[in-house]
Amino acid sequence: MIQLFDLSKKFGPNVALNDIRLRIRQGEFVFVTGPSGAGKTTLLRLIFGAEKPASGYILINAINLNRISRPKLDLLRRKIGFVFQDFKLLPKKTVSENVAIALEVIGLRPKFIRKKTHQTLRLVGLADKEKAYPLSLSGGEQQRVAIARAIVKDPLILLADEPTGNLDPQLTMEIMELFKSIHRKGTTVVVATHSQELLQGTDCRTIVLNHGKISEDTL
Amino acid sequence: MRSYFVRQALINIRKNLSVHILSLGTIVASLLILGLFLLLFGNLNNWLQRWGSALSMSIYLKDGISEYRRDKVDSFIRGLPGAEIKRFISKEEALKDLRAALGDDAGFLSRLERNPLPASYEVVFGSKGTYGVNPEKIKGELEKLDGVEEVQYSKEWLKKLEGFLDVVRLIGFIIGGLLCLCVVFIVTNTIKLTLYSRKDEIEILKLVGATDWFVKSPFLLEGMIQGTIGGILAVLTLFLGYLILPTHISLLGLAPLDFVFLPAGYLILILILGTVLGVIGSFIAIGRFFEV
Ligand SMILES: Nc1ncnc2c1ncn2[C@@H]1O[C@H](COP(=O)(O)OP(=O)(O)OP(=O)(O)O)[C@@H](O)[C@H]1O
Ligand SMILES: [Mg+2]
Repeated sequence: MIQLFDLSKKFGPNVALNDIRLRIRQGEFVFVTGPSGAGKTTLLRLIFGAEKPASGYILINAINLNRISRPKLDLLRRKIGFVFQDFKLLPKKTVSENVAIALEVIGLRPKFIRKKTHQTLRLVGLADKEKAYPLSLSGGEQQRVAIARAIVKDPLILLADEPTGNLDPQLTMEIMELFKSIHRKGTTVVVATHSQELLQGTDCRTIVLNHGKISEDTL
Repeated sequence: MRSYFVRQALINIRKNLSVHILSLGTIVASLLILGLFLLLFGNLNNWLQRWGSALSMSIYLKDGISEYRRDKVDSFIRGLPGAEIKRFISKEEALKDLRAALGDDAGFLSRLERNPLPASYEVVFGSKGTYGVNPEKIKGELEKLDGVEEVQYSKEWLKKLEGFLDVVRLIGFIIGGLLCLCVVFIVTNTIKLTLYSRKDEIEILKLVGATDWFVKSPFLLEGMIQGTIGGILAVLTLFLGYLILPTHISLLGLAPLDFVFLPAGYLILILILGTVLGVIGSFIAIGRFFEV
């Protein structure tokens, strides 16, 4: 469960998030939407512990992120998959090495890591690109590597920041199906997007951010 | 897990090979100088021990000492470790010696009413490993004996030798310390370079939940590998150099000196030093490097 209490975040004088109150239950599928600059990325980064709030606090499974120790945060992050808007892939590592990193930090056995990495890359349709380097891939392919790295560890929570921004409609649908199936296995999924297509006809909970405030919540 | 660290460390080294070779060269040079110094000091110490321990002592006896007392002194001297009685010089012999030494000027000696010269023992301390003989202490003990008038020994020479050794040792410590600092400094900078070249990777590792140790270990290992290889190369170079150099040196017409290689303990010391300095260097480099 993710709980945000009176959460605010400032960058200098610039208020990115203002007094956010929000509760996302374990196993929910939530869209966060809103115009560019509304604070979607900032919200996800706060939940991930990559930013510190100006005020208010965040509980993840009853753990207060304001007070969490560095080693505990490391452990928590192993259970959270994050698809970064800018991918954050390592250019000098191959596709499969990039994905395997998420498992290597946990200290799993190399054999298992190889198997799992391969499986996950198949899921996102990149089985034939395992040995390729990120910079030789298209934007959509890089995005799918980032997705694979986020889901390879079967996270409890998946935070996906604009995960379909570079994908064509067909791939967008496939990736959303993938997220749905991960969700069905019990993972909490939070997808930030400004794509209206993605939201059309969805029956999922949708939170709309505007200038750092929640303007709508379909709960 | 462990294989991951080793692999990462090796990748780091391969990716920055030229930097690593350069710094490895400097580390080897530093440890080599250190080793040479140890070698020199060790041998110097050996030689000085041998000269220094060829300590000779004159033990002058009181006039009219009884046979019994003389036997006591005699056996006491023989009981001293490493001591060897070169000669017992009786009063008469002492006079004869003096007469011979004076030659033509010896005439006045016959005018003396009695022989003013004391009987004495000439004692030499050990050819075989009696370094650590404390002449001052022996002198004190002997002078406490009944019948011993005075003890003299070649004090100045010894003091000078020991003072010289102290100075050499001090210089060794200073140079050694500086060289160690130098090695740490080099390793620190090399590892810093790798750290900067892998900043993005470190950030991403932290973002996917790597512990600090997971991120740091390859860099620590990298420094350790560097220091250890440096140590090994330095020891090998030293040994090769030793094989080329002569093992007997005749210096200033003194007895030929054996030139010995560093004892195993010192070699291990250099190896361990390389490793430890490598770890310290990378530790410093890592310091408070990242916080994501
Ligand atoms: N590191 C930062 N330093 C300064 N300002 C920042 C930083 N990150 C975000 N901001 C500001 O905070 C506000 C919210 O940014 P955020 O990236 O969360 O928006 P977003 O909703 O994700 O937008 P987009 O849809 O374009 O990704 C913006 O005004 C942005 O300029
Ligand atoms: Mg964003």
